[in-house]
Amino acid sequence: MNEMQPNTIGTPVRFPFRLRTDGILARILWAIGLSIVCAAGLIALADKNPLVAFSAMLAGAFGSAHQIGVALNKASPYLFAGSGLAICFRAGVINMGSDGQIAFGGIGAMATIMAWPGEPGLAAVIVALLAAAFCGGLWAGLATAIHLGRGVNEVLVTLLLNFVALLFVQLVLSGVLGQTGAGFLQSPLVPRTAWLWRVPLFDFHIGIAVAALGAGLLSFILWKTPFGFAVRVAGRSRLATAYAGFSLAGITWGVMLSAGALAGLAGGTEVLGLHHRLIEGFSSGFGFKAVTVALFGALEPAAVIPAAIFIGLLETGALSMQRQIGVPSALVVVIEAMTMLFILIATVRRS
Amino acid sequence: MAALLEMRAIAKYYGPVRANDGIDLDVRAGEIVGLLGENGSGKSTLMKVLFGIVPPDSGGIVFRGRELSGHRPREAMGAGIAMIHQHFMLIDAMTVLENVMLGWAEAGKVLRRGLIAQRVHEVSRRLGLDLDPHARVADLPLGRRQRIEILKAVLRNAELLILDEPTSNLAPGEVHDLLTILSRLRSEGRGIVFITHKLPEVLDVCDSVVVLRAGKASPKASVVGVSKSQLAEMMVGRDVAAPHILKKIDNQPLRLEARALTGAGLGPLDLELRGGEILGIAGVDGNGQFELAETLSGLRPAVSGSLRLDGRDIVRMSSARRTRVGLAYMPADRSATALVKSMSIAENLMLRDSRRRPYCRNGLLDQGATVEKANSLMAQFDIRARSADTKAGSLSGGNQQKIVIARELDRAPAVLVAHQPTWGLDPGATRFVLERIVALRDGGAAIVYISSELEEILAISDRIAVLSAGRFAGLVKREAVEKAQLGLWMSGRTA
Amino acid sequence: MIDFLAAAIRIATPLIFAALGGILSERAGVFAVGLEGMMLLGAWAAVIGTWGTGSEMAGIAAAAAGGAIAALAIAIVTVRYRADNMVTGLTVNILALGLTTYLMRILSGSNGPVSVHLDPLPMMPVPGLSQIPVVGTLLFSHPPLTYLAVIGCVLLAFVLTRTQAGLLLCATGENPEAVFAAGADPMRIRMLAVIACGGVAGLGGAVISLQQVGTFTDGMTGGRGYLALASLIVGRWNPWGAAAACLVFGAAEAFELRLQSYGIPVSSYIVQMAPYLIALGVLALLGRTGKLPAAIGKPL
Repeated sequence: MNEMQPNTIGTPVRFPFRLRTDGILARILWAIGLSIVCAAGLIALADKNPLVAFSAMLAGAFGSAHQIGVALNKASPYLFAGSGLAICFRAGVINMGSDGQIAFGGIGAMATIMAWPGEPGLAAVIVALLAAAFCGGLWAGLATAIHLGRGVNEVLVTLLLNFVALLFVQLVLSGVLGQTGAGFLQSPLVPRTAWLWRVPLFDFHIGIAVAALGAGLLSFILWKTPFGFAVRVAGRSRLATAYAGFSLAGITWGVMLSAGALAGLAGGTEVLGLHHRLIEGFSSGFGFKAVTVALFGALEPAAVIPAAIFIGLLETGALSMQRQIGVPSALVVVIEAMTMLFILIATVRRS
Repeated sequence: MAALLEMRAIAKYYGPVRANDGIDLDVRAGEIVGLLGENGSGKSTLMKVLFGIVPPDSGGIVFRGRELSGHRPREAMGAGIAMIHQHFMLIDAMTVLENVMLGWAEAGKVLRRGLIAQRVHEVSRRLGLDLDPHARVADLPLGRRQRIEILKAVLRNAELLILDEPTSNLAPGEVHDLLTILSRLRSEGRGIVFITHKLPEVLDVCDSVVVLRAGKASPKASVVGVSKSQLAEMMVGRDVAAPHILKKIDNQPLRLEARALTGAGLGPLDLELRGGEILGIAGVDGNGQFELAETLSGLRPAVSGSLRLDGRDIVRMSSARRTRVGLAYMPADRSATALVKSMSIAENLMLRDSRRRPYCRNGLLDQGATVEKANSLMAQFDIRARSADTKAGSLSGGNQQKIVIARELDRAPAVLVAHQPTWGLDPGATRFVLERIVALRDGGAAIVYISSELEEILAISDRIAVLSAGRFAGLVKREAVEKAQLGLWMSGRTA
Repeated sequence: MIDFLAAAIRIATPLIFAALGGILSERAGVFAVGLEGMMLLGAWAAVIGTWGTGSEMAGIAAAAAGGAIAALAIAIVTVRYRADNMVTGLTVNILALGLTTYLMRILSGSNGPVSVHLDPLPMMPVPGLSQIPVVGTLLFSHPPLTYLAVIGCVLLAFVLTRTQAGLLLCATGENPEAVFAAGADPMRIRMLAVIACGGVAGLGGAVISLQQVGTFTDGMTGGRGYLALASLIVGRWNPWGAAAACLVFGAAEAFELRLQSYGIPVSSYIVQMAPYLIALGVLALLGRTGKLPAAIGKPL
């Protein structure tokens, strides 16, 4: 009813990002289901049988241990970046800069390996990953500084910085980190000794395990520490955050740096575990995947683990579908985006 | 005179709440009808039904001889009804003229600025509104903004004006001007519904009065020969605690002391508060109450001056540190500031203490202890809910405020700043809150009690200060209060 | 120099369209993060429409329709279902990317995109006026959609300040409740504003595909939607201000294209960064001084 309060002050420009939490799993499954129906329509448009296409997709995703390994490799960066975004969104900080943060992570890792004196071994890998986390955090920190210091909307800052980061990768690849005479913008190969260990049979690198560990840690922080409590309050009411005595700036720094460092690790593990070199544009589009898995996981870092694996399987399956029956794999992007729209519709809070 | 409006047996239920339970209301042309009632008596609902914002569950409306049903605000306006909300429906970033033209067909699809400005001038002169069409709304005082609403109504040929609590934001001088404008409108033959819970205004300006109580209406009565006490009896005045026994406070220690405390829109203020004392801060809303509450509690920085709590300078401390050294704060805005509605009672109880025991142990949240503490506070403060896991937003206003008071008092604060702590509460909850505050005072704490309800201030305070334009216009002991003097202080702000 | 400025105007044209659309959306209270997707779908529809019908006019109309469809999705999800503007906009950007990529491939029937090559829209010098020295080259020797962008600026400036529709639009972004009280339907206004935004931004897409390139390539808008978003903020939600900001970005890109011929020893990547860095710098400089529409991003 009319619940006006006296003296409610000027409304904050940003309003918190909220999800309905009742029956969230059912809502998410519904959204996925609906978007698959839409996808079936698109497949039919391509004159292909949707059922055949979907079974090709399933076979592609689970067909062999190797396929599963490919899916887990795909899931790894999404999980790193997505779990970080989950806590950013929880705090009402809409970080859209994973692309750039991943790119800087990649630069950090590659630069470390190239600067390493002598044969890079385990120590080099660890230092490279730390450098990746540091560089990712640095890029996120730059965005945070502009956002907090100058009051520019964080979405705009992070998005614009993505483009700068992308070009920065090209810049270093055309210079200090580049492989001369390659014809492409890419760095030299990482020496075999510094490749991330791969699980035999499935052949996926251990990035996903580190990422899962990180997601678990974030989940613990979110629910079991006073900082996590502050994050949850900040996402729900800016006014209550100040009243509770939490520093909104502190919370923003905390979640942005964590997300940045994790995204940086995503970049580092891509370089050391998957491509074994820094490639132009290797991080493009990962930011959106990270947003997707964060929402699929209902902004619960631990739940981002299955969400990321799901997207990894979906994409592996789609590639195989494209090979087998010629349905373009871009379909998977459509499925993801449609699902996101349905989730956004189904899970917003209505007053 | 002709009947302008007839509302018959209007009923509107919200779940089990009977907001309107068969209400009749008649307004004639050239008549000002006072609609009197407490918060929650159904006034707003009745007017929303009339204006087409909510549909009634049953009942009928006849306006100027024509039946109004299933209408939307647009139709109500087209028929000649204008509603002036308590919170003005104006675009602050636009000018008076633009606000007048907004959504008005006569302004033209391509706006006829010159022509409309001319008409604004005419009406403004005729009614004594004194409005410049090219002034930006944001630059105008609240009294002027209200006149824009009146201007809009008159330009749209409204025959019936509904004013919802029109004096709540006005200083006494502005109230006088408003009443003059209303009598001019009456003499032009317009009907006016004047919604209020303030008795003197009804007697000053209205021709007749309808009293609403718990969704039911009294028969319309002429105000001639009606006394204030009769009206009060019909309405059953706010059930505040009887004036408490004043305490002798001379020997108590000084607990809160401000010297030339200055902030944006506030001060410089000097303040001395001893233990066992309630300082009531009266004043018209918007005169720095919010700024004072936030500056004392540390949510907005002071520009200069000092603030001491038990002799310790706290003016540079963050609000979290002030809370730790014994300053409690109950903000006026319960729904977004004092509580997080989508969180549980337990989480709301630990909102400001999450880094301390029992909520936190070795840097980690202690779930078990939190629930245990919540259960004990819920019992102690009579918070009625199924469990500590219940979302705060699902509770009644009274129970929500009990969460706030439980959290703030459990720390055994030295000083409590309470801003409109009884706003929107039913009489039982109001009494509960006031009793707890008095009990805190009796335990030796000092209390700053900020409210725009003068009666409540008079009932609870040991001393009373009046805030006007961010400064204290006067300070007086409760036993030495003269109401006329308070009124003068409150009107310090120019219209 | 004159050529350089004229090129800057042409390069800025798609940005101007998108920024004008974005002004409609943001003035009505919906963040225009989805400009990129609207442009991309517009660019695609323009090429396919022209290719299918052989008429450039039909292609341009299809571009507006394509952008409007992307905007419709945003309007439904954010206005009707009150979802977060930012995430929805970004999602539609990706949806447009996925959808256009997919559709280009199924049209070809093979795994590669269908190849469509059109002649870019020709220059259309204004008879007489284009002969004026300097001004003629600068202002009156452009392809058709560039003129349309300028007309769009004039039109939007007029609508926003001189018409009831503009008044209602801006009021919806400031205080929807007051719009409702004035008898209009703020939800309808927001929906229409966002859809109109899509139509205009779609034309911006057509500029890229039909006027500048003559074909469609995957993700060919390349972040211009975000630059347009930055320019309308830098331009304080004012058509001329936004257009001026777009011109600065256009000039930066024109400079990059001429870099090699000028023989300036700066990495082209750094020059390519310039528009984004300029946008960030100006936004940071303006900081909190800019007054957003008061109710932007808030659901009804």
